[in-house]
Amino acid sequence: MLRLEGASVDIAGARILRGLSLHVPAGGRVALIGRNGAGKTTTLRALMGLVPLRAGRIAIDGRDCTRVEAHARAGLGIGYAPEERRLFGSFTVAENITLPAEVLRLPRPEVERRRDAVFALLPELHDFAGRKAAGLSGGQGKMVALGRALMVGTRAVLLDEPFQGLAPALALRYAEALGRLRAALPDVAILITESSPDLLTSLVDATYVIERGEIVSA
Amino acid sequence: MAWLSDNAFLLGLATLDGLSSAAAIFMVAVGLNLVFGVLRVLNVAHGSLYAIGAYSAASLGLFAAARGLPAWASLPLLVVAAALVGLVLGPPIERLLRRTQDQEPVLQLLVTFALFMILEDAQKLIWGVRPVVSDAPVKLMGTVDVPIGGDVIPFNAYQLFLLPGVALLTLAALVYGLRRTLFGRMLVAVTTDREAARALGIDAARITLVTFTIGAALAALGGALASPTTSLVPGIGAQTIVLSFAVVATAGLGQVEGAALTSLLIGLGRSFAVYLEPELEVVVPYLIMVAVLLVRPQGMFGVLETRRI
Repeated sequence: MLRLEGASVDIAGARILRGLSLHVPAGGRVALIGRNGAGKTTTLRALMGLVPLRAGRIAIDGRDCTRVEAHARAGLGIGYAPEERRLFGSFTVAENITLPAEVLRLPRPEVERRRDAVFALLPELHDFAGRKAAGLSGGQGKMVALGRALMVGTRAVLLDEPFQGLAPALALRYAEALGRLRAALPDVAILITESSPDLLTSLVDATYVIERGEIVSA
Repeated sequence: MAWLSDNAFLLGLATLDGLSSAAAIFMVAVGLNLVFGVLRVLNVAHGSLYAIGAYSAASLGLFAAARGLPAWASLPLLVVAAALVGLVLGPPIERLLRRTQDQEPVLQLLVTFALFMILEDAQKLIWGVRPVVSDAPVKLMGTVDVPIGGDVIPFNAYQLFLLPGVALLTLAALVYGLRRTLFGRMLVAVTTDREAARALGIDAARITLVTFTIGAALAALGGALASPTTSLVPGIGAQTIVLSFAVVATAGLGQVEGAALTSLLIGLGRSFAVYLEPELEVVVPYLIMVAVLLVRPQGMFGVLETRRI
């Protein structure tokens, strides 16, 4: 489904990814584990087209997407929840969630259907749907970022360190939500980055370990 | 109180003048604000668009009058001139400034300043340095007697109604557009976080281009609307951009309604100075700016960063 082959990325003259390859099959739950600075975030940003590849290719369902513009990737069915949440603070939670679907010019009923499906999966979002995103706590924000990614992530969802900075109780709730995704969205490929594998063992079926921009075990 | 009633006439005149100059400043400042939001470049050349809008409107008005077009046509021609300036100059300038987007702020400022100098000279080349006057719209709309205290001030209807009216319409359209339309939400998203917006499917380059063109057209419209009320001379662009910077800094970046209120404050402040203490005219806008920034460094309406935890 989602394939990165021999990807190399430079940022500000420094090599961050060194010929990295990984594969997330349709319906697969894959973890990318590595320390801070190993290249996890850069891997996801490369998949989203937010940093250019120096070498290598990205394929979605066998189709080469290396040169597809970043903004066109959401339209290919890839949802992305960045590490820092990156919500739009002046919008409400509901507006943050529906924005990517509206940008794709999906018809209103379809936007509402997807939003309601997200609310069903992540019920707490429904409770603060009308609140401004700027007023959310970090953990609530992570949930919103997940919901927003699911709105367009019909093929694949990329989650960058979703457990980072979450209080234990919230981390548990987040993990439960991810568990529900498996049943609700059996065909969606999910790639999760994390610095420690402990939280993900029960949630994923494959793990890659990244060190200094290279996969060291898969 | 005695001073107030003694100076009622002057104060009334200052208020009326201040309102119309606030309207023109707002049109320029709000465009500058929108453009900074999407491009993160403080565009000094924005003032040139005001000047070129003013000169183009005057030329178009004089041309139309020479061709025998009816006097009422001078009003829509102001808007036509502004739209043309925005559409012709906006996209190429955006393309140039986009190349400086991720560069040092000093470099960006130098590029926009150089562009400003080039446009200023181009403007002298086209329109010369002698004052240009095209006041058909003001004459067309006549004067209104405004009662102030016991006196009556005959004031031209153009400055009293049309200038503030267009500014209010622009404000309403922008507030509605930013909140209620998809384009507006995409613009806010790009302004807030360009990379996140792109990852969600927003074509940030297109939003930036369209926003820049709208901002350019608004600056040109500010110039076009102000053109019948004054004689056009080299240097109006510089004067306007400096005032707009003061408005944007005082209001805080990213604020549309804030820019409107601040334009009013600075327009009125300057106008009162002109009538009461003329030697303070130039410095009053900056005194207001300094006073506000001392108390609220993020600007009167600016918001501090959203919480992270």
